[in-house]
Amino acid sequence: MFLAVKNMFKSYQGESVLCGVSLELEVNQTLAILGKSGCGKTTLLKAIAGLTPAAGQIYVQGQDINLLKPQQRSAVYLYQEPLLFPHYSVFENIAFGLRLRKLAPPEIDRRTAQMLEDLELAEHPHKMPHELSGGQKQRVAFGRALIVQPMLLLLDEPFASLDPETRSNMQALFKRLTAEHGITSLFVTHDLKEALKMGDRLGYMERGKLDLFPDYAAFAADVRTGMSAEIEFWKKL
Amino acid sequence: MKKVILAVLFALFILPFGYLVLLSVASSWRFPEVFPSQNLSLIHWASLSRTGVDWLSSLATSALVAGVVGCLSTTAGFLSSHVLSIHSSRKLWITLAYFPYAFSPVIYAYCLSFMFNVLDLTGTLGGVLIAQFILTYPFAVLFFFNHFDQQLREMEALARTLGSSTTVVFWKILLPISKHTLLICFFQVFLISWFDYGLTSVIGLGQVKTLSIMVYQYIGEANIHVAAIAACLLSFPPLVLLWFNHQFVFKKV
Repeated sequence: MFLAVKNMFKSYQGESVLCGVSLELEVNQTLAILGKSGCGKTTLLKAIAGLTPAAGQIYVQGQDINLLKPQQRSAVYLYQEPLLFPHYSVFENIAFGLRLRKLAPPEIDRRTAQMLEDLELAEHPHKMPHELSGGQKQRVAFGRALIVQPMLLLLDEPFASLDPETRSNMQALFKRLTAEHGITSLFVTHDLKEALKMGDRLGYMERGKLDLFPDYAAFAADVRTGMSAEIEFWKKL
Repeated sequence: MKKVILAVLFALFILPFGYLVLLSVASSWRFPEVFPSQNLSLIHWASLSRTGVDWLSSLATSALVAGVVGCLSTTAGFLSSHVLSIHSSRKLWITLAYFPYAFSPVIYAYCLSFMFNVLDLTGTLGGVLIAQFILTYPFAVLFFFNHFDQQLREMEALARTLGSSTTVVFWKILLPISKHTLLICFFQVFLISWFDYGLTSVIGLGQVKTLSIMVYQYIGEANIHVAAIAACLLSFPPLVLLWFNHQFVFKKV
């Protein structure tokens, strides 16, 4: 198993946010976690990234990473906002992680140029973040995360602030790039359709508890996911 | 109409400085005359050259105190605010930061003076520096507190997951993003220190002669023309800083 999370517990001021969360994920898979606001899905991602302490074990390729610092975990966290570094150009934002790893400058240039091609941003390397559209910013944020080839990509509703068309394009881009780069990811969303499109595996989180489903049928059968209600709605039209 | 209003506002801004310059070159100017009655001359300015050492020394002392206090308070305020932005008791600390501003600087100085006497810091440059730092450090903390908002904290967290150490986050992310805010804070602390009279006079006991102390000294001696010269010297560096900020900071914000 590539990723195994066991018995994660976390509470804020006496209120439990994670109640014994466990999950397993194979390499190159995406686990889409559906859940309402405040159910604990963001806390789960932050705990895996090392941005918030939580009790439990997190194994990546058999190694417990729960005591490692965020920068040692190779787990990149993507927020809802692209959070591009405003003082760096598109090129420098994407190359940021490579420069941290002290790669040779020609190698950084080559890999960043390739990533810009993949993101269809090859014409905008020198633009500053404020000169980009919302979709372009989110693509740069993706490129910045993918270029360091993280073992885990943690996505916290990354498309929630985009318009429907850009969102759809970004979902397609995400599927293509994660497949090309062999990325294992956890994708958190409160949008049913997005969870179905993004996830190879599906989970539902409620009040700090995560339920994983073996297949789409099991996911659809659980009334909490809203999938059966959605199907009924379309049938009645 | 807009131009007229702007011209009036500009004139109102310039008027006090113009008045100071005029007063410094007037040899006789008595109420109720609108302008000096005799020819203008540089006689008072020329007297500067005779006592030039004192003036230069005061100018240097003011610049040293304001520069050091500006650097120290801005740096300490920036770092403290950064820590406070994620501290569980930040509301308490921020409330405490308002404490020095509950009094006037002179009353605050008298509150501090006992401790400074015990530590043998009164009448020394070091004492004035520490006293002004105590006054301006909370200002800098309050100034930066809203700067470290959720977006900046998330940007820091993201940079860490990309592989940045705390040091790298500080130098490559926090500092470049905050440079304009840092400059503005430095500028404001510099001005607070530069124009401070109350703390400097109580803690410095008149032995640390900054320009503001000189101005009040001449006003006290009813030497209004020399006081005007001192005030001109006091006003000039802040005007240069204001121009510098306008040219290189505000335009880029």
